[in-house]
Amino acid sequence: MPITPMEVYKLLPKTNCKKCGEQTCMSFAFKLINREKKLEDCIPLFEEKKYAIQLKELQKLLEPLKEATETGLIVDEQLCVGCGNCVVVCPVHAADDPKGMGSGFGPTIDDPILRMEDGVVKVIEMMKCRRYGKNRVLCVACRENCPTDAIRFLEG
Amino acid sequence: MATCTGCSCLCPDIVVQAGVLNACRKGSSIFMHSKDNRAKPMVSGREVDMEVALEKATEMLSSSEKLAIYGMDTIPLEAQEVAIKLAERKEAFIDDNSTFCLGDFVEMVLRGILPSTTLDEAKSNAYVIFYWGTDPFQSLSRHMSLYTYYPRAGKRQRGYEEDRYLVVVDVRRSHTAKLAKKNARFIKVDSDDALVEGFLSTMDGRAGNYYEDTARILKEMQRGRFNVIFGGLGLKYGLKGKYEKFVEMMRKMNELAEVYFIPAGFHANMRGFNELMFEKTGFVNRYSFDTETSRPEYEFSELVRNDAIDTALVIGSDPVNSLPFDVAQKLRKKNLILIDPKLSLTSKIAEVVIPSAITGVDQGGTMVRSDGVRIKIDPLWEAEWSDRKILNELLRGVR
Repeated sequence: MPITPMEVYKLLPKTNCKKCGEQTCMSFAFKLINREKKLEDCIPLFEEKKYAIQLKELQKLLEPLKEATETGLIVDEQLCVGCGNCVVVCPVHAADDPKGMGSGFGPTIDDPILRMEDGVVKVIEMMKCRRYGKNRVLCVACRENCPTDAIRFLEG
Repeated sequence: MATCTGCSCLCPDIVVQAGVLNACRKGSSIFMHSKDNRAKPMVSGREVDMEVALEKATEMLSSSEKLAIYGMDTIPLEAQEVAIKLAERKEAFIDDNSTFCLGDFVEMVLRGILPSTTLDEAKSNAYVIFYWGTDPFQSLSRHMSLYTYYPRAGKRQRGYEEDRYLVVVDVRRSHTAKLAKKNARFIKVDSDDALVEGFLSTMDGRAGNYYEDTARILKEMQRGRFNVIFGGLGLKYGLKGKYEKFVEMMRKMNELAEVYFIPAGFHANMRGFNELMFEKTGFVNRYSFDTETSRPEYEFSELVRNDAIDTALVIGSDPVNSLPFDVAQKLRKKNLILIDPKLSLTSKIAEVVIPSAITGVDQGGTMVRSDGVRIKIDPLWEAEWSDRKILNELLRGVR
């Protein structure tokens, strides 16, 4: 179940005090989910006793995001058949390796995001994916073209 | 760089080092398990020396009066030629899997009845990619990502999002059909004849079966100007052997735009066997060098059922596993010689087992892809007894 900004916003102080550096609590909620801001940036949440219960709930709610940094892009090897659609469709692959993966073949570079090893797709260099980093994009190309839905994105 | 011989895609970019890179699940298992369960030379169930097994096989072939040679779909052209020569020498029957697979379509392409092209041309130019009665996700896993829908090449630089139109025709929503999303169409059919009629009606200007789908697809074909239809087993069995209307449909479609036909896919070198037989005899399969013609009763299963043979030479196939049970049962009573790299189910009932090599791993040669392009394969290493060497040895000794 992906974590929505609304769920996070309901547990924040909702005062728009701007102490975290954001204009509104809603935009702070968005930045929390994208991991551009940490929960500790909301100073009133930690300093004022009346928010103690909300703080506890928030920490519980945001727990999965802590692990997701390492494994944000998961391939279920039981479902994967090695068709290679995800490798060829990826726009980053098409830009980095036009004569190889862009044209349907296996990678000719050493660090692709995905590669077929022993018949199933393995994640090699996840950080090159467009979904991570500063200017992230909500790209779903690999997941949409997997015939068995073997690819999952962990942070929703 | 190795070439995989799992299916007729013959993917050329496999890297075999610590693991196997770039091959699909089926292909990579050929490389990963190439040393497992290899056959040993056997006579009557007991392991013997290779020379003894070859001698016994030659003796059985020489004394046979009605011989059938079956299989040959995974060995290179050079070995298939020797097998055909052997059948000719003994005036025997010869047949392969194409009789119940796509032999009909390959024959129509070779005779020029259906216009065809190569997969490389499809990759560079094709707009409408039409899968009719086939599920490449299951059988030819890399077909869509290496050759047809997803790659960017030639005139189709913008890839599947803007430069391709996918059509999938099937009786159920298969895995390939799930990929027909934005710029695509999935047609669920109960009868392939009805869809062929539908296309013919629309081209005549009348609204027939599936008129919304057929009108749209024909418009896209006209727009794209170069299109390919891949026909599979679903189409062959759906049309029940009557292809006249389908051929007429293809001919009329070619008045609107270039529409080509490529048989979807099969064993790695099935088309090679069909091409060699066509060149030599004018027929693609189930042939008798005795009557010098091809008849339905010369199909291997029928020969076994009707007790029309006394000896069978099976090369690189596993009839006990893949043919119907009554055929497998009857095969026990025949004199059976098996040439295979692994200890298959058929090896349990064969009188003589001769171990051979796996194409692409420890034997090389020329294989023919599903579109007719010849691929030369260099193996990873060379086994001592390749299929060609074994068959040459049998040909030398047979009377």
